[in-house]
Amino acid sequence: MEQYNDNVYLIDLGEINTAPEIIFELSSILDKEEAKNKRICLKLGNVDLNQAQILSIKSLISGIDSILSSIDTKSIETEKVALSLGIIVSNISAENSLEVAPTMPYKTADELKEEILSQEQKQSDIEEDYNIVEEVEESGENNSEHKPEIDEKTVKEEIKESEQNPQLEQQKEDFDKQNNEEIKTEDKEEVFDELDVIFGSSPAKNTFFDMESEQNKYEEKEELSDIIVPEQEYTKEDIELESFPTKYIKQTIRSGQVINYEGNIVIIGDCHPGCEITAFGDITVWGILSGIAHAGAGGNQKARVRALKMNAIQLRIANCYSRRPDSLNTVYIEKTNSFTPEEARIINGEIVVFKIND
Amino acid sequence: MAGRVIVITSGKGGVGKTTTSANIGTALAKNGHKVVLVDTDIGLRNLDLLLGLENRIVYTLVDVVEERCKLKQALVKDKKNPNLCLLAAAQTRDKSSVSAEQLKKITEKLKKDYDYILIDCPAGIEQGFQTAIAGASEAIVVTTPEMSAVRDADRIIGLLEAADGIESYKLLINRVRPNMIKSNDMMSVDDVVNILSCQPIGVIPEDTGIITSTNRGEPIVNNEKSLAGKAYINVARRINGEDVPFLDIDEPKNLVGKLKKFLCGLKKQGKE
Repeated sequence: MEQYNDNVYLIDLGEINTAPEIIFELSSILDKEEAKNKRICLKLGNVDLNQAQILSIKSLISGIDSILSSIDTKSIETEKVALSLGIIVSNISAENSLEVAPTMPYKTADELKEEILSQEQKQSDIEEDYNIVEEVEESGENNSEHKPEIDEKTVKEEIKESEQNPQLEQQKEDFDKQNNEEIKTEDKEEVFDELDVIFGSSPAKNTFFDMESEQNKYEEKEELSDIIVPEQEYTKEDIELESFPTKYIKQTIRSGQVINYEGNIVIIGDCHPGCEITAFGDITVWGILSGIAHAGAGGNQKARVRALKMNAIQLRIANCYSRRPDSLNTVYIEKTNSFTPEEARIINGEIVVFKIND
Repeated sequence: MAGRVIVITSGKGGVGKTTTSANIGTALAKNGHKVVLVDTDIGLRNLDLLLGLENRIVYTLVDVVEERCKLKQALVKDKKNPNLCLLAAAQTRDKSSVSAEQLKKITEKLKKDYDYILIDCPAGIEQGFQTAIAGASEAIVVTTPEMSAVRDADRIIGLLEAADGIESYKLLINRVRPNMIKSNDMMSVDDVVNILSCQPIGVIPEDTGIITSTNRGEPIVNNEKSLAGKAYINVARRINGEDVPFLDIDEPKNLVGKLKKFLCGLKKQGKE
């Protein structure tokens, strides 16, 4: 607990893990005189709070003439609910400490995969008792071990296997849904990645993906025609993203130039280091992206950043910040006719850069 | 703790203000002092690039001034040395975004937590310069042994003497080429000191390694072998109050050069 400004009052409940305890602890803190008439920043740990619980916290705070100005949470569930209630979700802890805010360099798909693999190994060491979990993990590991040789057919078989297994189907219904949706939209290597995520991570996270392109969808559908593809479910956010207006800019964005737009931005040209592009929706750069790009500035976690060549100093999506890995510190990017388009999006709360085509 | 606020200025552009700031800051931090570097060159920031911290900047000096963030949040810690922090300038704004009073307030706050606050001044004598020197009590005037740079340095020293708050100023002569001085193509260090009648705090030899270090984002003081790096470390020690003799910059490094020097010495003796 720490008071660091005349107006802002930080309440740290990061250690507490249940909702009733949070409310109890909070009400005792709010009894203090110094918490009155303040803008309160609430720091929570990994606790999933529902709408009613957050609303009751909000009313507790407004009861002492203070305002709940922002919530800092590790739980994605809480974050979503808070955002839907119009509360700013910030990462106070990271910013308030002397540590630099974007401490995490952005990852490539391969790095994410490696990390997931190592996590899997750790998990399998710990959770040997759970047979089902082990089975799932094994299939995930096998899958990734043979990754380089595997072609689409093997993946298909594996997915079929997993579908035929009734236990698994019961256990992981959500996953299958996700599977199909993802397979439909992602290309080969990404399928592996996503499978790893599905098989490896224990808590199910609802990550839906937009449709990439009509052509892509068509191809993937053909390959995986055996699988029953559920109807594409659009979330509210997806529809919002698509209904955003789009701004086209046909020029090179140079150092010091700022572009802000409450919609999607498409830039035909390069974005030099030192420029800043902020969009509520997606950012697409038909050129080399070397500046700072902030997609989904309004808090939209599903916004993406695409570029023919991704060399951004910083990538920001919604409230996720990442910086360019120090190893990528190149003086300049050679302009060639063959680029590998890349796309950045949030996976499990981290910004990951995917190559669109290999 | 009451830190010292030192502004690094020159008047003329391109003489090495930013390089000097980055290297002296790093050298001081290496010696265990808590250092914060403040870039006041708003709109044309480079200090972050020299330190290799470009990709870590989220909040800038302008954000602090406009109260979009806390001062602590805007301080970017160095990759290697936890004693060194950078307060970066905004790239997307101009010099008018920060006033002299606002910068003074910030340096007052920083004084409490840091031993040294080094302010990297923009080129010129306009508002940006006036803002940068506002919070400082000491100044380092960087110049090169060229007439244009020396004239500008003279102008700057005049302005510093007239400014309130600047208690002392020292001269730093950058990009000195001993060989050119020998052949009378360049003003010597003594010439510069005599023209400006100001005590030097350091003489930095020209070093091609500076270009590489700038491109890599790695201050040259981290390179043990570099002569310029050594000279900067000595400057840092002198700032700290130590009595360090000036580096013999015209000592050639390679064996052939040493032999040549030795033979030249013999020749001179013979003539006498």
